[in-house]
Amino acid sequence: MRVAVTGTPGTGKTTASELLESRFGADGSAADADSTPESDDDSAPALEVIHLNRVLEDEGLYTEVDADRESKVADLDALATWLEGRDDVLIESHLAHHFAVDRVAVLRCDPDTLEERLLERGETEAKATENAESEALDVILSEAVDEHGLESVYEIDTTEREPADVADALEAVVTGEREPSAGDVDFVGYLT
Amino acid sequence: MSQDDDKWGIAHVHASFNNTVMTVTDLTGAETIAKSSGGTAVKQNRDEASPYAAMQMAESVAEEVKAAGITGLHVRVRGPGGNLQKSPGPGAQATIRALARSGIEIGRIEDVTPIPHDGSRAPKGKGGY
Ligand SMILES: Nc1ncnc2c1ncn2[C@@H]1O[C@H](COP(=O)(O)OP(=O)(O)O)[C@@H](O)[C@H]1O
Ligand SMILES: [Mg+2]
Repeated sequence: MRVAVTGTPGTGKTTASELLESRFGADGSAADADSTPESDDDSAPALEVIHLNRVLEDEGLYTEVDADRESKVADLDALATWLEGRDDVLIESHLAHHFAVDRVAVLRCDPDTLEERLLERGETEAKATENAESEALDVILSEAVDEHGLESVYEIDTTEREPADVADALEAVVTGEREPSAGDVDFVGYLT
Repeated sequence: MSQDDDKWGIAHVHASFNNTVMTVTDLTGAETIAKSSGGTAVKQNRDEASPYAAMQMAESVAEEVKAAGITGLHVRVRGPGGNLQKSPGPGAQATIRALARSGIEIGRIEDVTPIPHDGSRAPKGKGGY
């Protein structure tokens, strides 16, 4: 199974995916410490976590550099080719919903909080603002629903949620413990 | 500001997955003349982004704007706009049509949808917005 973990930069994709990755046990499951034999069926199948930005950097899979945004323009075809044959993966990137996947987790975050997270991470004011506006307008959620349909999208609000909590929510998407959902948050007030 | 400038304003249309919000300002963007959202026109949350809600909203804003002496609007559209729909989104399209029908002159229409980005970004046109 292929799972995309997407969301506006700053929603916590890398943090939550790394946490989940550390839970994928050597035995091929992500059983909780307190799990009983009966609950083993619920443990997530071990997926290889792919941090797509690292692939893009390491393999040089971009076409040009957007100088205004200090951002590399992804070569989506080349990345799709690189992903060919990798079928049990969790792809972590704000571009992940542009690829063939079975489920799409979309991480969300209140735009003001997102802006703070990005500034704290050391991003420029311009970068923080454009991403916060993107989040307020549901840009990535809309793209994900557009490309994969409501039945494959799992929205996760990370505002005021611990990274471990977000990793739990991701795990529930992987195991199939939760239903798809989209559009439960409304951040458009940020813009007016 | 010249008298002529006073007759023109900017309609900022924000079309999200769930809602369509419009703010009309003067040409500097400093003064807000009118403001409304699709949510004020419909009862159900899930209908806030619908073209119908956007049209109702735009019609009421148009009346306010005309009462304030504005005769023309430039339009700045932001956002993918609406469930399962293509750019510029049914909400945004319905808004612009309703403004025009109300007798307001429509000037430049600009799409200023932001692009999510970190060290990377999608090529323009991907995702369609
Ligand atoms: N659940 C969370 N709550 C608060 N801060 C978080 C959370 N998840 C991540 N962060 C912080 O926010 C910033 C962005 O997180 P990161 O995982 O890099 O996001 P992304 O990969 O989506 O861009 C980092 O500084 C990180 O430490
Ligand atoms: Mg990241």
